[in-house]
Amino acid sequence: MNRLEHPQALEARLDALEAQQAQASRLIAELQARDALKTQFLANISHDLRTPLTAMITHAEILRDGILGELSERQRESVQAIINGGRQLLESVGEILTYARGAAGQLTLTCTEFSVSQVVEQVSALNESLVAKKGLALEVDVAPDVPPIVADREKFAHVLSNLLGNAIHFTPGGGRVWVVARLVAGDGGPSLLVEVGDSGIGIAPEHHDLVFREFAQVDSSASRRHHGTGLGLTIARKLVELHGGRIWLESKLGEGSRFFFTIPRVGCT
Amino acid sequence: MEDSPLVTDALRLLLEETGHAVRAAGSVRDAVGACASEAPDLVLLDITLPDGDGLTLLDELAARGIARPTTVAMTGHDDPDTRQRCLAAGCVEVLVKPVPARELVRRVGEWVR
Repeated sequence: MNRLEHPQALEARLDALEAQQAQASRLIAELQARDALKTQFLANISHDLRTPLTAMITHAEILRDGILGELSERQRESVQAIINGGRQLLESVGEILTYARGAAGQLTLTCTEFSVSQVVEQVSALNESLVAKKGLALEVDVAPDVPPIVADREKFAHVLSNLLGNAIHFTPGGGRVWVVARLVAGDGGPSLLVEVGDSGIGIAPEHHDLVFREFAQVDSSASRRHHGTGLGLTIARKLVELHGGRIWLESKLGEGSRFFFTIPRVGCT
Repeated sequence: MEDSPLVTDALRLLLEETGHAVRAAGSVRDAVGACASEAPDLVLLDITLPDGDGLTLLDELAARGIARPTTVAMTGHDDPDTRQRCLAAGCVEVLVKPVPARELVRRVGEWVR
């Protein structure tokens, strides 16, 4: 290119570049506005979805519990299936709401001091029947020197629940899943390190970043369909990072997975 | 007190079938009116309502010299701050929605006694 151009040509080129830049800025602003609108919509719609769902589940429970007359075994099973489906839907809607709030920067931490092993036990207990159904071995190990931490208990439990749920889901029958919690040193002071591992199908290294991205699901088998919103790990990462912690994974295809996250011991300011 | 007719109908069905007389109010104003006309044995209070925070019902009743009925808060938020706020406002208990039908019936039975 001939750099010694006529000044008028340079002027023209500069004008064109500035015009392009202005247009790019406008486009960015418009995209941000639309994104904000979408996020707000998700937050609003979640309430509208949860209300009728809750009513449906209540009605189904009324039927199941024989309040309007005894049911046959088959009828009860059918109604229980309605309840299970409803609860699953509620969970998905809740995930969407949390994701939308996270994306809009509207998530806040409600911090209390609580016992790590208590929460780990609660979350494990919730998954007991599924673990038994799949014939998995669930090992829980919270080191005795782990003190109570100051964090958002509900969000901490949510992260743990998501990771454990995944571990169980992606591990074939007869395998192992585990939860280990330790205190580790860090430059900002001691942190809680939690590992949720499994002997399941594993995740290829090239997908390690992908699994934390919204809507992404890694399907290692063409025939396998994964249910869910694809938001679980995105939310988990958001909740961990809100506490000032980190979340990462070690895994290879066919060699199981180990998800790690840290929560600074005083995770709230 | 609950603003969704769907949820109100489900709860009404549940509680009437288990032997209670139920009145429903969709706003703090209506609830105050209901409490004033005939004192309830128990108020189930959904604290997120269209005309403001449901907990203000208790202040409104006090301001009108109406005796505070046994009040149980129902909220979608499972956190200690919300719980504290409800208890401090005068609720005897805080339930986190969705409340399983069985449990609600059992506990209502306890409170109404």
